Amino acid sequence: MTAPLVVTRARRRRAFGSPSGYLSVALLLLFALTAVFGPMLVDKPRGLGADILQSPSAQHWFGTDDLGQDVFAQVIWGTRISMAVGVAASLIAIVIGTALGLLGAYVKRLDPFISTLVDVMLSLPLLPLMILVTALVGASATSLIVVIGLLSWAEVARLIRSNGMVVASMPYIDGAKVLGAGPLRIIGTELLPAVSPLIVVSVLLTAARAVISEAGLSFLGMGDPSSWSWGRILLNAQRSGVIATAWWQTLFPSLAILLLVLSATIAGIRYNDSRDPRTRGV
Amino acid sequence: MLSYVAKKVARAVITIWMAVTITFFLLRILPADPTLLVVEGDMTPEMQAALREQYGLDKPLLVQYGLYLGELLRGNLGVSFRQLVPVLDILLSRLPWTLLLAGSAFALTVLIGIPLGVYAAVGRGKLVDKVVQFLGVTSNALFVPSVAILLLVVFGAQLGWFPIGGAIDPRTRGAEAYASLLHHLALPLLSLALVQVGPYALTLRTNMLEVLGEDYIKSARSRGFTPRRTVWRHALRNAILPALTLMGLQLGTLIGGAVLTETIFAYPGVGRLIYEAVQQLDYPLLQGAFVLLAITVVAANLITDMVALALNPRIRS
Repeated sequence: MTAPLVVTRARRRRAFGSPSGYLSVALLLLFALTAVFGPMLVDKPRGLGADILQSPSAQHWFGTDDLGQDVFAQVIWGTRISMAVGVAASLIAIVIGTALGLLGAYVKRLDPFISTLVDVMLSLPLLPLMILVTALVGASATSLIVVIGLLSWAEVARLIRSNGMVVASMPYIDGAKVLGAGPLRIIGTELLPAVSPLIVVSVLLTAARAVISEAGLSFLGMGDPSSWSWGRILLNAQRSGVIATAWWQTLFPSLAILLLVLSATIAGIRYNDSRDPRTRGV
Repeated sequence: MLSYVAKKVARAVITIWMAVTITFFLLRILPADPTLLVVEGDMTPEMQAALREQYGLDKPLLVQYGLYLGELLRGNLGVSFRQLVPVLDILLSRLPWTLLLAGSAFALTVLIGIPLGVYAAVGRGKLVDKVVQFLGVTSNALFVPSVAILLLVVFGAQLGWFPIGGAIDPRTRGAEAYASLLHHLALPLLSLALVQVGPYALTLRTNMLEVLGEDYIKSARSRGFTPRRTVWRHALRNAILPALTLMGLQLGTLIGGAVLTETIFAYPGVGRLIYEAVQQLDYPLLQGAFVLLAITVVAANLITDMVALALNPRIRS
């Protein structure tokens, strides 16, 4: 059912043997490098005064906004915040989701509570809830990470729980129980390694969702006002009323969001498919 | 069948209770004292005490919680800080627009998603399948404001085919008013449907593939039904049910998308209201909006489950 985490040559070929596989990984790497090194190479966007609302040119690759700030610089600086929030929030969600999912899969008495909680979280409108919580704790990058992380684990828990249940019913788990292993030990040393490939997939897919959530909250003005993010560039365009005219101010951050989310999603799907060549997608 | 209905209703009640409880404790725990948020400027200790008593804040937390639940059951969601009007009144005046937008997006998603999923499954591995899969994954990766802005710029501002904001032209009457309503609805609706249709088509495709491999499909074919009839009459019926459940689960995302797209198109629904409330830090309004949207989503989810029950005799046993 679940292949080990070690990536064999055949699996690597299945995962990256098509353009969509290596393109998505290459794009993810490019985004990661931009997030780390971009702000060192590109000046922080500042109001320059003269060149306001200019369309893309050799001088301003992505044009300028209504304050004369370079949109290319905003997108580069935004990469760092958008990725940092996405990755950090997804890690919080993964830890909570995996823990609850495995507990639900192995500890029968806890399962009704956990599966009800998961169902409830999945059916609530999360964006309005995130808006409410962020408004209460105050807008900052840290609160975005915590709020998104604490509210995005349900999908992970559901996935890990259903797969953990398959593993938990296997004979070798009973064997471990007979040998005297306690529930926590079985969960930690037997179930966790067995579902670890799914955790890798979940990290990628959850991070993709988290990037979308971050962009949505920043777009509604819940981001850190002192740092750049892709959602905030769109918010600035909305606030200054240039959405219908300055297409460059919204197009480039939108492309950045789409490419990052798409490459993380495809990388996740390809990695998942590489475990089972029968269910090939994309 | 009764136990199925009872289970779904119980789940709906639990979900709403959780949503209500979360917001109660959030508002009591996070800002130290809600009275400090109500009125700006100086307040004498006596005024504060009077306010605290009025809001029941001098009572123990659990008593407050009981009072809060009681008020909710009577439809009291509190008073807006800024507009000094009951939150429920403001929300109910905006809710129909959001229901119209989200409801029509739901319908359009199903309408486009079904043929896409069916054709992809029937032509498995062929070009049509690959195209649908690529579009599905891309649609799932779209950011609602990005799509909304693109539609607004191209079809609103550049081509001038559709209005770029609002929900209706107030000068229109009768049939003209309905036309104006649809005209204003088109772009926000499309921005939501384009994002929703991908995951829906992909799920339907997977379900169809599963159903097409089942024995009763083979027997339908061997009894001489045409492939077309087998796919659309026999297989789709059974593939559609899990996809319906998925749509129920996607309703929360759909409402989230409505909040974003309403903001861009200045559409007068609950979403636009939330955006305005965020700018003014109107906490009771934000809380009420979340509670009302949660109830809406849960109710719609319950309806989806009941439709699934009506369509599928297997659930009944």
